[in-house]
Amino acid sequence: METLWLTVLGVLTVGYFALAGFDYGSGLLLALPRRYVSSHRKRDETYRLVTPFFLGNEVWLVAAIGVLFAAFPRLEGELLSGAHSTFTLLLAGLVLFMAAVQLRLWWWLVFTGALMVSVGWGLFLAHLLHAPWPVALVMPVLFAVHGWVFQTRRWKLFPVTALLCALPIPLAFSSIDVTGLMAHDDTLGLLAWVAVPIIPLVVLAQWSIVAISSR
Amino acid sequence: MSAVDLARLQFASTTSFHFLFVLLTLGLVTLLVVMQTRFTITGAAVHERMTRFWGRIYVINYALGIVTGIVMEFQFGLNWSGLATYAGDVFGAPLAMETLVAFFLESTFLGLWIFGWGRLNRWLHLALLYLTALTAFASAFWIMAANGFLQNPVGYRVDGNVLRLDDFGALLTNPAFTSALTHVVFAAITAGGVFMTGISAYHFIKRTPEVDFFRRSLRMGVVTTALATPALIGAGFAQFPVIARYQPDKTEAAPWIGAPLGFMILIGMGLTMISWLTLPLLVKDAVIRMRFPLYLMVIGIPFPFVAAIFGWMFREIGRQPWLIYGLLRTEDAVSHVDASQILLSLVVFTFLFLALACVDWALIARAVRRGPDVAPAPVSPMVVTL
Repeated sequence: METLWLTVLGVLTVGYFALAGFDYGSGLLLALPRRYVSSHRKRDETYRLVTPFFLGNEVWLVAAIGVLFAAFPRLEGELLSGAHSTFTLLLAGLVLFMAAVQLRLWWWLVFTGALMVSVGWGLFLAHLLHAPWPVALVMPVLFAVHGWVFQTRRWKLFPVTALLCALPIPLAFSSIDVTGLMAHDDTLGLLAWVAVPIIPLVVLAQWSIVAISSR
Repeated sequence: MSAVDLARLQFASTTSFHFLFVLLTLGLVTLLVVMQTRFTITGAAVHERMTRFWGRIYVINYALGIVTGIVMEFQFGLNWSGLATYAGDVFGAPLAMETLVAFFLESTFLGLWIFGWGRLNRWLHLALLYLTALTAFASAFWIMAANGFLQNPVGYRVDGNVLRLDDFGALLTNPAFTSALTHVVFAAITAGGVFMTGISAYHFIKRTPEVDFFRRSLRMGVVTTALATPALIGAGFAQFPVIARYQPDKTEAAPWIGAPLGFMILIGMGLTMISWLTLPLLVKDAVIRMRFPLYLMVIGIPFPFVAAIFGWMFREIGRQPWLIYGLLRTEDAVSHVDASQILLSLVVFTFLFLALACVDWALIARAVRRGPDVAPAPVSPMVVTL
């Protein structure tokens, strides 16, 4: 059970960061002069490219937190409340980023939202590793690189940068010993019947969204 | 204020904002199902245009409401870590079901519906809307099951100093869950009906050239309200015996708690009466030609939302001082976090959600003013391109 649920949590978290990385990364790149993001000149193009993925990434985060709550109840509260202000920053950034992209508000608002989210995840990474705060800068840098690879359509590099964005948080998380923090097998067994078939279903459906919208 | 008071205030504020978006989402998706089914069967252009126009408003509201839900979910861990620690095994089960079965799938089906416009077989496209609606209601189902457990804990056993899941079925037959779920579902459908009536009335006040389009919409809104409100009130009153049995002190939880309850009942009764009085006036469009009722319909739009917030206040404040009735006190569940940190997040999120609600209102108003499309345009999640 422990391995199964750590895997489920890992898959959801990796899914979120792999999908969200180029979203936030694209937002961070808005601050660069256009000529550095070589293949196109207009900000509209940046937004147009991320459109099909837009509703797709946050659902992975929500699912991950749901699994964290139900399968690791003794860990979830301590983990989140232990980094209270980091999550305030991160979630405020998330609200700002999503609203600003959808409304096509000023580019610097999109940029600020993306920066808050990525620095927030960086601070959380530093918190998990008990590392000094400059470690936080790792996440915005990785997201920006991933965003650049996405925007310039360097598809060969894409899986590499996706993994680089996706792995730091789950790897840092794996240093936590979850023994005794998990739910009872009665709860876990029940939820396994739901969680295991749903993940491939969502992957298939999200892949279809991208396939349909690029037709 | 203490950390407990601040955390409670934040929970109340986040839930209220979130619930405003949820009500309209659930209400509109139900009406969309009717419209698109009629379009798919008959192939009539007016039904397609109705699906597009109301669908666009639905998508705007969903896309902005989604973020309030994310903050809502994090808040359990951030401010109320004692709840997961003590009852995560039981309370977490329906909560995880909601995120996985409902929300995870709902957003994905909605995405397919949005990007599938004109690109998919129309029966397949209709099926996607049915799945979106089904998972949206599943969301309400699991959230109310989780809330029902807090109101009247069932299906658990005490194991040391934590609760364990004993009987999952008991969570789903909990009387504090079943009657409240029906009540909430019909409240959402009422909100959708009143909203649609009011917006259509607005267009008639503005002398819209789209007479057939808004005539159909107005009728649909009035009929929906008239059908939903008796069930809404019935399910509401059906909860009093349940409350008397499981939370006898509910009406004494705060000296003023009767006021929101009273206003909610008044609004519900008012909407039932007005919608039934309007039904005969739909004949030969009398209600539109009279014009005067149109203004009342526009004024009526916020009432179901206000009533819903009042209903929640009664249900949630009436549970105090318990977080899980009889088992876990609210003050014992709050995270060990400095009050200043909770204050910071309270201020930040209240400000952001207020801005978000205003933006939602402004965008919906813009989509409403533009009216239905003359030339087909894509329904997109990117609000600005709508």
